Amino acid sequence: MTSTTVPTDPKLFRLAEGDETRPHLLGSYAPESGLSFWPRRYRCPVTHTPVTDVDLSPEGVLYAWTFLHVPRMGNISFGDSGGYGVGQIDLPEGVRIQAPLLGTTDDWKIGTKMGLTTFPVGEDADGNELVTFRFEAVR
Amino acid sequence: MATKLSRDVYVIGVGMHRFNNERLDPTAMADVAGMRALEDAGIDFDDVGALYNGYLGGGMASGVRVAKEFGMTGIPVTHVENASATGSCAFGEAVHAVAGGRVDSAMALGFDDMNQLGGIGRSRGKSIGAEDVMLPAAFFAMWATRRMHDAGTTVETFAKIAAKNWNHARSNPMAQRQADHEITPDEVLSSTLISYPHTSMMACASGGGAAAAIVATKEVAERIAGGRPMIRVSASQQRSETYTDGHVFLGAVIGPAQMTRDTAADAYEEAGIGPADIDLIQVHDAFPVEELVYYELLGICGEGEGDGLVADGETSLGGRIPFSTDGGLTARGHPGGPTGLAQIHETTMQLRHEAGVRQVEGARTGLCHMAGAGSVCVVHILQRTT
Repeated sequence: MTSTTVPTDPKLFRLAEGDETRPHLLGSYAPESGLSFWPRRYRCPVTHTPVTDVDLSPEGVLYAWTFLHVPRMGNISFGDSGGYGVGQIDLPEGVRIQAPLLGTTDDWKIGTKMGLTTFPVGEDADGNELVTFRFEAVR
Repeated sequence: MATKLSRDVYVIGVGMHRFNNERLDPTAMADVAGMRALEDAGIDFDDVGALYNGYLGGGMASGVRVAKEFGMTGIPVTHVENASATGSCAFGEAVHAVAGGRVDSAMALGFDDMNQLGGIGRSRGKSIGAEDVMLPAAFFAMWATRRMHDAGTTVETFAKIAAKNWNHARSNPMAQRQADHEITPDEVLSSTLISYPHTSMMACASGGGAAAAIVATKEVAERIAGGRPMIRVSASQQRSETYTDGHVFLGAVIGPAQMTRDTAADAYEEAGIGPADIDLIQVHDAFPVEELVYYELLGICGEGEGDGLVADGETSLGGRIPFSTDGGLTARGHPGGPTGLAQIHETTMQLRHEAGVRQVEGARTGLCHMAGAGSVCVVHILQRTT
């Protein structure tokens, strides 16, 4: 059996296809309001009109970030992993995404151009590689 | 959008079990808080027309079991849950039950132990995904880094707010964190870094506890007052979020800041007063950046002027408009269900002029604000009428 790469949540993102270099978040677009959303929605929350499925841009700009050392108000430690970065990224469609970041704190400044990428988190029962998504600074 | 209470409602009794980190039975603490509220009001449970229980943990029907300890009087008992705003919403339900004529008196009772809640923010090893970033420590840290970028706020300002609230709690016997010395901003900054720029002493104390408040009609309140100051609920407002630019749908702990501005505007309109009329304020200060932005969103100062309030000590006890007079979520604590009711407890004590060394001189009007995951925002305004 050949091992393949599988997204942890195929409702939230898809892997890069063809000659694409980055995965894409799966969003919605509301023609009447001109607004885009992520994750996908049943209808526009402003006009209450139907939306269409769209793939969102894989690159955006860092709006805010932090590095989480100790979650849960300081009661739990990440131990050896040291923690992880989290950011809010503004995509060109006007969508703000909150997601984990790859890299170090030196990589992130408000206004930094960021790109979507995948991150391995283990295997499923069939031996396929499971990946989640994160954003990284575009160099 | 502001609605008005159709008849006057008064706080006639408040009670608490000290917030703590001792892993006590939440329902036992609930019993203590509820009985203290009854004692404070000078009434028996037979005189309570409805009970609204606020809790996040504890399991199904915990509130009914607690009620049976007070007495099996057959009154309606209802479970209310709205994340951090649970206690505030339970209080609001009690207020509206009285205002709407369902009952003449109602108790709101919150009890919980955040340490005994499962699942929130627990590390999942290597399987960290989008859902795991829904941690208050990370979410509010991003508020902080953006605030630092936009307004030039420094980490020292955050430390000053946290130190203020730690020191307010030193004289609050119901507070979880009761330092044996004056807390300095330097001490706050030197504690463990949990999520840049927030340190552990800036994070709210998440433990256990219970708090209760009893509300009633004017007629009931006057009958039992016995010369004691009467505390009227001048506004009871609750909102969820509306769409704003840069809306975060997945991973946002609470909704956009605009939610607080809108809910406060409703409350001011209902009470017929403005920010300048408020003498003291309790807010959802899970992290100090929240308290800082709420200075502005509640209209206490202009946009970007909150840092100046901190520098001048205006939000400390003795200042122009004290915030988090009982220590706030930072130091009084944040067990979950009872947190909003602790705000009502503190504000009622202040307006009765029974707050001891924490007393805000001449306090007549207090505002309580809570935000909850979901997103929920609740604002109550209490006023001394006698």
